[in-house]
Amino acid sequence: MGTSAAASGGTGTPGRSHRAVRRNPLTTLIDNERALGYLLVAPVVLLLLALVAYPFFMAIGYALSDRTLADPGVFIGLENFVLLWENQIYRQTLANTFIFTAGSVTIRLVLGVGLALLLNESFRFRRAVRAAILLPWIVPTVLGTMAWLWLFNPNFSVLNYILVNSGLMTTGFNWLTDPDLALFSVLLVNAWRGVPFMAITVLAGLQAIPQDLYDASSIDGAGKFQRFRYVTLPLVMPVLLTALVLSIIWTFSDFGIVYGLTKGGPMNATHVLATLSYQTGLASGNIGEGAAISLTMLPVLLVLIIWQLRRIRRSTAM
Amino acid sequence: MTQDRRPARVSRRKLLAGAAAAPALTLATPSIAQGTLRGTKLTILAGQWFVPQTNAMLDQLAADLARDSGMEIKVERFAGDELMTKTASVIGSGRGADLAVGVEFDTHLYGARLSDVTDLADEIGRTYGGWMDSARAASVTGGRWKSLPIGQAPAAWNWRTDMFRAAGVERFPDTFAGLLDAAKKLHARGTPIGMTLGKASGDGRSTNYPVLWAFGGKEFEADGRTVAINSPGTLAAVEWYKEIYQYFIPGTTAWLDPDNNQAFLASKISATVNVNTIYLASRAAAATDPARKNIVDNMDHGQWPSGPAGRFACYNVNVWLPFASSPNKAGQREFLKAWYSRTFLPRWTKIGESYFIPQLVGFDTEDVWPADPKLRIFRELNKINRLPGYGGPPTAAAAEAVNKYILVDMFAKACTGQMTPRDAVAWAEKEYAQIVRRRTRT
Repeated sequence: MGTSAAASGGTGTPGRSHRAVRRNPLTTLIDNERALGYLLVAPVVLLLLALVAYPFFMAIGYALSDRTLADPGVFIGLENFVLLWENQIYRQTLANTFIFTAGSVTIRLVLGVGLALLLNESFRFRRAVRAAILLPWIVPTVLGTMAWLWLFNPNFSVLNYILVNSGLMTTGFNWLTDPDLALFSVLLVNAWRGVPFMAITVLAGLQAIPQDLYDASSIDGAGKFQRFRYVTLPLVMPVLLTALVLSIIWTFSDFGIVYGLTKGGPMNATHVLATLSYQTGLASGNIGEGAAISLTMLPVLLVLIIWQLRRIRRSTAM
Repeated sequence: MTQDRRPARVSRRKLLAGAAAAPALTLATPSIAQGTLRGTKLTILAGQWFVPQTNAMLDQLAADLARDSGMEIKVERFAGDELMTKTASVIGSGRGADLAVGVEFDTHLYGARLSDVTDLADEIGRTYGGWMDSARAASVTGGRWKSLPIGQAPAAWNWRTDMFRAAGVERFPDTFAGLLDAAKKLHARGTPIGMTLGKASGDGRSTNYPVLWAFGGKEFEADGRTVAINSPGTLAAVEWYKEIYQYFIPGTTAWLDPDNNQAFLASKISATVNVNTIYLASRAAAATDPARKNIVDNMDHGQWPSGPAGRFACYNVNVWLPFASSPNKAGQREFLKAWYSRTFLPRWTKIGESYFIPQLVGFDTEDVWPADPKLRIFRELNKINRLPGYGGPPTAAAAEAVNKYILVDMFAKACTGQMTPRDAVAWAEKEYAQIVRRRTRT
C-alpha cells in the first residue's frame, strides 16, 4: 500500500513521495484488517501457549516416559497407563472419582436449583440471605475444609456430639473412618462448597425470565408446577447446563477438600485422581506415572468441554 | 523443673573459637576469611520443628553466618506437606533453593540431584565418634553421602500409668502378647489404646513398621529388589494387629498425624506411639492447665515390646538436602559446617530434649540428654532405629511404598475386615511388586 501510494501520489514532489515510502509499518499493519486481527489475538494465543499448551504437552511427554523428579527417564510408550490399569489402587481411585463427581454434582444440582427458586421469591432480608448463601463459595477451601475436619473428627466429631447428646444416636457416625461413609463425607463437603455457585448462577437465569411469560401462562390456566415445567425450566436450561458442566469439571479435578480431610484414606477409600496423582508424582517423585494419572481425567473433561463449546457456538450463531 | 527456654545465640566468632578448640572438626572457613561468600545468596527451605527453640536456633545460626560471611541467607519456612512439595519442585526445576530440611527417603528419591557431601560427612563422623548405621542408611546412596542427617525423632509408647494401673497392668508390656492382654483390660475399663492406621506421614510408619519386623516380616530381601512381604512373619503380624484392633478406640484408620496426640491429651486413650511432643506440650501447659498437669504426672514413655524376631523401632529422620543445582556450593558447605560445629549441634540437640537426636555415636556421652526422668528412655530408644525397607537397604522403592501407605493399608484392610489377613498380605505383595517393577525398569 505504501509503495502504491508513493507511485500514484501524482504530486511529483520528493517530500511527499518520501513520506509515502516511509510510511510507518505499524500503521500499515493496522490498516490491514487481517493482520490486525492476528495482532490483537496474539497476546492471548501466546499466553495460552505458554500457560496451557506447553504444560499440557509436557504432561503428555512425561506420561509417556518413566521420568522421576531426579531422572529425565526414557520413552516407554503407554506402559504407565497399562501399569496403572493393573493397579488396584488406581482402579479404586478411578471409581471413587466418578462416584465423588456424580454424588457431589447431583447434590449441587438439587440443592442449587431449589435454593435458587427460593431466593427468587420475595421475603424479608432476601438480599442478606443471598449474600450469606455465597459464604461457602467465598471462604478459602482450606479454611472450609478445616472446619469440616472438626465436624467429622474421628476423636471429637462435633456432629456426633450433637447427635449423641440430643439423644438421636448412641455412638454417632464414623464419618471419616468407615470407607463408604468417608467417601460420602468428602463429597458432601465438596457439594457444600459448590451449591452456592449453582444457586446464584441459576438465580441469575431465573431473574432474566420476563414476568410476562408467567402472567400469560397463568391466564392460560397453568399451575405452579406447569409454570416451572413449561416456562422456567426451558428458559433457565442454558444457564443450568453451563453451571452443571463447570461443576462437573471442577469436581472431577478437585484436590484440596479430599487432601485436607482424608489424604485419600482410609485405605484409599476417598482417593480421587488428583490426590493420587499428587501422591505418586510429587510425594513419591514418580512424575511420569503421576502425569499419566492426571491425563486419565482428560477424555471425560474433553468430552464435556467440546460439548459445552459447541453449545456456546450454536447459541451465539442464533 | 526449670528449663532454659531461651533461644541459644551462637555467634560466628564463638563458633570459630569452638572449632579451634575442637581440632577434629576444624571445619576450616577459608571462604569467610577470603570474603568469597560476600554478596552471594543462600536459600534454605525448612519446616517448623515442634520444639520452637530448635527453629529459633536455626534462624540465629543463619543470621550469624550471614553477618560473618557477608552471604545473604534466607530461611523459608513451609507448613507440613508444603515443604515436601517445595523440595520436589526445586528438584524438578533446579531452581528455588540451595538447601532443604528433608526426610531420609529424599536422599534415595533424589540422590542424583543432590551434592556429594561425603568429605563433610567423614569429617563430622570423625568429630563425633562416627555415624550410626541409621545415619548411613538415611544419607548414603550409591556409596556416597548425598545428604547429612540432622537427627532421628525416637517414637516411644506414650502410656498413662494411672489408667494401666487401674486396669491391673503395672508396667508397660514387654511382649506383643502382653500388649494385647493389656489392651483388652484397658478397653474393658473404657480407656482403650490407639495405634495410627491412617494416612499419617510420620506416625503411620513409626507405628506400623516395628510390628512387621518384630514378627519377622519384611518388605524386601537383602538385595532390596525382591519383594518379601508375603511371609509367615508378615501374616503373624497382621493377625496380631487384627486381634488387638478390636480393643482400640474407634477411628484409628482415619487418624492423621495430630489425631493420636489429641486423643491422648484429651485422656481418651491410655497409650499410643508418638515422639516426646505429647509430653513436652503437656509439661509446657501444666502450670496453668490442671488437666495437662494430670497428664504429665500420670504418663510415661515405654519402648516397643519385643516380638518373636526381636525389638524394633522406626523413627522419622530429618536430613539436610544439599541441592546439586545450587549456584552457591561454597555457601552450602559453609552453612553445613556451622550446623555440625561443636558449638552449635550439641546445644541444638539438648534444647530439643530428645526431640531430634543426631545419629552420631559420640552423642551418647555428650551433654545433650534431658534431665527430666520421664525423657530418659529416649537415650536408649535412640540406639534401635531401622528405616523402611529394612531387611534390604533403603531404596526409592521402599520410599515410594511408605509414601503410598502400602504397609499401613495392609494392616488396616485386615483390621477392619475389608480383607482377610492372607488377602491383605497378598494385596500388599502385588503393590510392592508393581513399585519394584516400575523402579527397576531402567
